[in-house]
Amino acid sequence: MVYTRKHPALLIIGIVLLAHGFLIGGGYLGGVIKYLSIGRTVGEMTQLSYIFGGIAGVVGLWHWLGSHKEGNADYYLSTVAGGIFILLVAMIVKWYLAPWVAVLSRAFGPIAGTAAKPTFLHDVLGLNYVVLGIVAGMITVNVFKIPEWAANGVRLSRLGLKTGVILLGSLYSLQELAKLGQLSVVMIGIFVLGSAWLVLLIGARRNISNSMGGVLAAGVGVCGVSAAVAAAPVVRARSDEIAYTIGTILVFGVVCMFLFPVVGHMFNMNYVQFGAWAGTGILNSAQVAGAALAYQPTGDLETLKVGEIFNITRVLFLPIIVLWLAVWYVRRENASGVNVQQVDTIKIIIEKFPVFVLGFILMFALASIGAFTPKMISPFREWLTWLFAFGLTGLGMQITLAAMRQAGGEPMIIGSIVGVLKAVLSLIVVLLFVRGTI
Amino acid sequence: MTDKKSQNIDLQTTGGGLKYHRGSALSIFKSDRYEDLIALACALLIALGVYYFLK
Repeated sequence: MVYTRKHPALLIIGIVLLAHGFLIGGGYLGGVIKYLSIGRTVGEMTQLSYIFGGIAGVVGLWHWLGSHKEGNADYYLSTVAGGIFILLVAMIVKWYLAPWVAVLSRAFGPIAGTAAKPTFLHDVLGLNYVVLGIVAGMITVNVFKIPEWAANGVRLSRLGLKTGVILLGSLYSLQELAKLGQLSVVMIGIFVLGSAWLVLLIGARRNISNSMGGVLAAGVGVCGVSAAVAAAPVVRARSDEIAYTIGTILVFGVVCMFLFPVVGHMFNMNYVQFGAWAGTGILNSAQVAGAALAYQPTGDLETLKVGEIFNITRVLFLPIIVLWLAVWYVRRENASGVNVQQVDTIKIIIEKFPVFVLGFILMFALASIGAFTPKMISPFREWLTWLFAFGLTGLGMQITLAAMRQAGGEPMIIGSIVGVLKAVLSLIVVLLFVRGTI
Repeated sequence: MTDKKSQNIDLQTTGGGLKYHRGSALSIFKSDRYEDLIALACALLIALGVYYFLK
């Protein structure tokens, strides 16, 4: 199969970006910049427009006029179109749409807060570049559809998110990690094991199959899709059972991603509280990052740092859950008269354990030994902001109505009950016991 | 279901029905492990780039 489409779209995007860089850099869009109050981003807008405009122009020319044969060059270079497409949407949202929404929201006047620190509608609803990027992605895929020339590269978004999480490891100090680590191990330990146990209990009461209960317990308890996939072989889950679980996690995660920041603002949660709550209560890794960045889209990214520590602690519980489910499944099946052989659980854990978590730890270790100087932190934050903007906009492009329709039936009911319970209980625990900053 | 099949699930087919013969609906890479390693390489490259330009 040849993946590259002979299409001028990428070349046109390249020319548009180069023209944009020229107009911004030359000061021709001064009126727009002043109206949107985005003067601080002029340098970034010029640089990124030139860099990615140049890449899109060169590769776009090759896509359109070159001859393409099946192979690695065709496969990987065809992804540039989708990657640039995601980036273009993220740029439009981050540079123009989000500031415009803020201008409109301010025009309505403050809806809460004080005269010194007013709160506007877009603050309360979290309508920043993260949320708007995800929504733009969802609208793109569900209303307009992803263009065929971009379809292959849209699958790069998860790579952006994983790279962002690994790079995030460089922003923690040893003291921060020690403080957050203790808190996260206690909270995640209770909520991961508790929610997995509850899914198995309710599942048994409602007579769903052991394989369905097992895979749903991993998905709802640990870290969403990857946990469900990791647990599937040990409980011998069928494709439709995994699809149900993924659909449930996806629907619940999307709702949480938009709802959590609004609730966080209602309770006036600080960054540590919100990060701890999002990292515990939201089922899927990408949506934890989405909610955390929606709550604090700029600055020192404390919410993201706290949320990801909780999320990574949750992933570290994956081997325990898989081992538990393996033993649980064999016992349940044997008790019901079906003779089941134990699978090689250790092999499955080694094969399925997400290595990017080790990458995060490696970056933290490098930061701890002083490999990164303090002046590198600010550029790292800039990179992180763009990697997550890219990843989350692309994530929006993968949230299709067809995928969400996979959710339904008993798994959706059980997943929702346990998911809501976990979110509410973790909110109470966080509000009562989590204090301070990092 | 084999281990290999359980990884494939619905993931080779996107919501729009497009089917890939390489990677999955969520990733261009052949496995999650491979994607993780590429992400690690990207993160190290970014760190190296920042280090080089700020040195």
